[in-house]
Amino acid sequence: MISIDNLTISFSGKKAVDGISLQIEPGEILGLVGESGSGKSVTALTLMGLLASEGVMETGTIDFNGTCLLKAGVKPDQKLLRSFRGDQMSMIFQEPMTSLNPTMKVGPQIDEQLLLHAKDDFKSAEERKKRVLETLEGVGLRDVEKVYDSYPHQLSGGMRQRAMIAMAVILHPALIIADEPTTALDVTIQNQIVKLLKEIRDREQNSMIFITHDLNLARRICTKLAVMKDGKIVELGSTEEIFTNPQTDYAKKLIAAVPGRKNSKSAVHREIERIEPILTVKDLNVFYKERSKKLFGKTEHKCVVKNADFEIYPGETLGLVGESGCGKTSLCKAILGINNDITGNVKISTVRPQMVFQDPYSSLNPSKSIGWLLEEPLRAEDILEKSIKYTKETRKEMAIDMLRRVGLDEYYYDRMPHQLSGGQRQRVSIGQALITKPSLILADEPVSALDVTIQDQVLELLESLQEEYGLAYLFISHDINVIYRVSDRIMVMKKGEILEIGDRDQLFDNPKHPYTKELLAES
Amino acid sequence: MKYFIKKIVTLIITLLLVSILAFLAFQIIPGDVVHSILGTEATPEREEALREELGLDRPPVERYLNWGKDVLRGDFGVSYRYSKNMNEMMPVKELIGDKLPVTLWLALLSVGITVLIAIPLGVLWAGTKNKFLDGVLNVLTQTSMAIPAFFLGILVTYLFGIAFKMFRPGAYVSYKTDFGGFIHYLIFPAIAIAIPKIGMTARFLRNSTLTELTSDYVRTARSKGASEKRILFKHVLRNAMLPVVTFLGMIIAEVVAGSIVVEQVFALPGIGRLLISSISTRDFPVVEILILYITFVVIIVYFIVDVLYRVLDPRIREK
Amino acid sequence: MKVFNMSSAKGKKVNIYLIIGAVMTGIIVVMAIVGIFWTPYSTTAMSAKERFAAPSWQHLFGTDNFGRDIFSRVMKAVGTSALISVLVVAISAVAGIVLGAITGYFGGVVDAVVMRIVDAINGFPSILLALVIISLLGKGRQNVVLALAIAFTPSFVRIVRGEFIRLRDADYVVRARLMGVAKPRILFVHILPNIFSTFWVSVTIGLNNAILAESGLSYLGIGVQAPDATLGSLLSDAQASLASSPWYALAPGLTIVWTVLGVAMLSEGIGKLKK
Repeated sequence: MISIDNLTISFSGKKAVDGISLQIEPGEILGLVGESGSGKSVTALTLMGLLASEGVMETGTIDFNGTCLLKAGVKPDQKLLRSFRGDQMSMIFQEPMTSLNPTMKVGPQIDEQLLLHAKDDFKSAEERKKRVLETLEGVGLRDVEKVYDSYPHQLSGGMRQRAMIAMAVILHPALIIADEPTTALDVTIQNQIVKLLKEIRDREQNSMIFITHDLNLARRICTKLAVMKDGKIVELGSTEEIFTNPQTDYAKKLIAAVPGRKNSKSAVHREIERIEPILTVKDLNVFYKERSKKLFGKTEHKCVVKNADFEIYPGETLGLVGESGCGKTSLCKAILGINNDITGNVKISTVRPQMVFQDPYSSLNPSKSIGWLLEEPLRAEDILEKSIKYTKETRKEMAIDMLRRVGLDEYYYDRMPHQLSGGQRQRVSIGQALITKPSLILADEPVSALDVTIQDQVLELLESLQEEYGLAYLFISHDINVIYRVSDRIMVMKKGEILEIGDRDQLFDNPKHPYTKELLAES
Repeated sequence: MKYFIKKIVTLIITLLLVSILAFLAFQIIPGDVVHSILGTEATPEREEALREELGLDRPPVERYLNWGKDVLRGDFGVSYRYSKNMNEMMPVKELIGDKLPVTLWLALLSVGITVLIAIPLGVLWAGTKNKFLDGVLNVLTQTSMAIPAFFLGILVTYLFGIAFKMFRPGAYVSYKTDFGGFIHYLIFPAIAIAIPKIGMTARFLRNSTLTELTSDYVRTARSKGASEKRILFKHVLRNAMLPVVTFLGMIIAEVVAGSIVVEQVFALPGIGRLLISSISTRDFPVVEILILYITFVVIIVYFIVDVLYRVLDPRIREK
Repeated sequence: MKVFNMSSAKGKKVNIYLIIGAVMTGIIVVMAIVGIFWTPYSTTAMSAKERFAAPSWQHLFGTDNFGRDIFSRVMKAVGTSALISVLVVAISAVAGIVLGAITGYFGGVVDAVVMRIVDAINGFPSILLALVIISLLGKGRQNVVLALAIAFTPSFVRIVRGEFIRLRDADYVVRARLMGVAKPRILFVHILPNIFSTFWVSVTIGLNNAILAESGLSYLGIGVQAPDATLGSLLSDAQASLASSPWYALAPGLTIVWTVLGVAMLSEGIGKLKK
């Protein structure tokens, strides 16, 4: 019914999509999976006729239920496209906050859909409003009158995404494209949204294109998968087929890199001698100052971590999992002494523990060379510790040695951060953290911003460095599958409280807290 | 409500601070006022008498309080420089009263012209796909911002006054005798003030509109099938206007300053010229009151802008 | 396909703004520097015969009411105007960096106090503030520089402070803190280089504002005093004879416009370099 035939899109001569063909049947959920830059989103946007003006459609046609929407070399009929958009096909985007107009109430934004395509079907504005309210109820929102009259910022992320979905389904389109619809949401909300999308498909039998980088997610929702790489479809088939029996090398590599219980790499269970902890946290409360909104009110101390109590032993990885805003990062900062507004005890028996951050683009100073960055901890140590004296040459030697250890060439010594890819930057970041030889590293979502194959490589690097140096990690992630792969023990956190802490397999086999169960539903 | 109380309190504190600063500043200036009023040949007794008359022999705090009390009561003191007749000194209030409407009307006209032209121009500019028009507007606005106000004033004088004879340069018509003629004369200085502001505002609005056009909610609106025109006017404009409101507040404050210079070019008897001459002749009571007055206007403008911003942006309104 | 595309021959687009801006300001800089040592005519040489001469090859911009060569006078005036503006921007930029870095990075009481003052001054049109300061300090070259520097510092403080607030919790700064890098080093070695691209743009904008403000002050007769002349005071002299010899006003006026446009182009060029 909807078919893309031999589609090629290029941006200033560079091919973003390279001769792909796809058919989507009614009731089918087609997953477009692949790493960033593989052409997933460009394909979807082209299908919607929303390709940026820099993009050129070089070859191919797009056919929608017998109507030719786009054809290479033919100027797109904007009027035709507009009549299809929203009515016949609609799209759900990743960021529900920015994807809604911030200065317009939610109800009228959904109503606009009716105004644009089905104005004549309704006698009055009241009738349209009734229809909008029904649809809002249909996507599982409560108190719909209030939602109707709310601005986007007054709703939670999950509610906003539901409102976006309401907008997409109100006219019962034949095709819904969802571009990473759950990536910006917390795990538990993510599960609800996935369920909702499936329900809608079952009810309305429309086709769906589901774009995601998360293969675990794709496996749960999609009936068919198209694996994309460098603008090409490398493998196309039913989801189970691809997961159990991938044909191409790339698909094999991709599937093997997916973290989780089913991944062989996380099968290893290590015996760790737990004698003398390297980090002891006792009765730790972390506070956060918040200015009162009252006229002459005092600043209030908000407790963001409550009664944290745990320890980490040399050579072990403690995985910390929880949703955004649960206090993971605050806990880190307290341990590292960046936030001194704490009560309780933190005892560390190693030289300054270091931290690896999530965003490889902001954790390296963009104005300095890689060599300079790797040497800076040594320079700082030189000043701080009287006993240590590095010459310029030793520093350079140590930096180059570290480059090799994190799997980079000597050649990168003089590069600038912007010349490196995300994965390479994260390697440098790890090197910078390790160069002063601390035995404890705090890793705050260190692989969350990376593509799955790169993620796999960085995790492998962290594992091999752990073995080499006997490192202990406090490994933070929102992704339960990544946590499963790296951890010896797992700690679950919610709203500043540690709900559960225990051995990895025990926790997975026998979760005690209902929240943990909910989290694990995803693995 | 709480917000308004807070705002008004800050407003009053700011005014108080400015008044203290203005008063103190003019206390510590080197040079004896009495000396400069009477000249070097006055007798010490005469100087002493004047000093007492002006209250200059009291300690500064007392003088400030007295001055403040007077100002609140509407008594702005007397000018050091001007006098009504041989025996009576000129009250600052009378001195300013005449000149206020001139500057006020000039500022109003300039802001009006700026808003009326700049906003449609900015939207049109952002909406155009015509590369040539884009380039022309870019050069024009860039150039308009590079011309100093007084040079523009001179150019306007030459062009409209001397070349086209649309008005007679220097022949100011008082609002008391002929209001129509007054406005007619003011239009030309207002144009001189407005031109660079039009350039700035149009550029600002254009950039802010273009930024908004790349945002996610615009993509959503497109995915709904909305036309580009509808997107621009229904979705983007309101969001794009938000920063422009704040920007316009700044522009208004600058128009007040711009009018000081332009009044000089067109020989307008407004408070700007009074300020310049008072500064040159060290007529401090007048300067103090004028500074206070201008500060007051600027603060009120910012206050209005702030309120307007709140009305336009639901996100701020809540907090 | 696009092999013959000139602009992307090396994969880089020619920064046209930067080139035009550099040429335009370059001419002004040369004029100013040469003007210090040599002008075609003496700026004080009067000639009764040549009063109000129109532009010609002898007198490029014509002569004024005393028969002085306007081109020579503009050359000298450009030097004075440029010197004052550059000094103003240099002083306020340095003050802005120091104050902005400290308030932005550390926050707290110092920040609250400094920002209150900065906001108060910033809300005030700069030329007005300069007027007030000059009325306190008296006229003259140094006082003009001082007054404008005080009036311009707040905007630099704001920009630098904003950048430091943006970067003080950047991951790489947090890491520098974790390494135990000393605070001054974090401020000026780790953070400062990263704000330069933004900072240079505001320096050029500040320079333009300084040129415009200075010329405004001298036009009003409370800037630089005779016998010194800047572009503003030349314009003020020229206004009296506008009807009979408009070129007298055009010469210094267009020089200001030329300079400001040149610097604005440079500014835009620098802004584009960033990307």
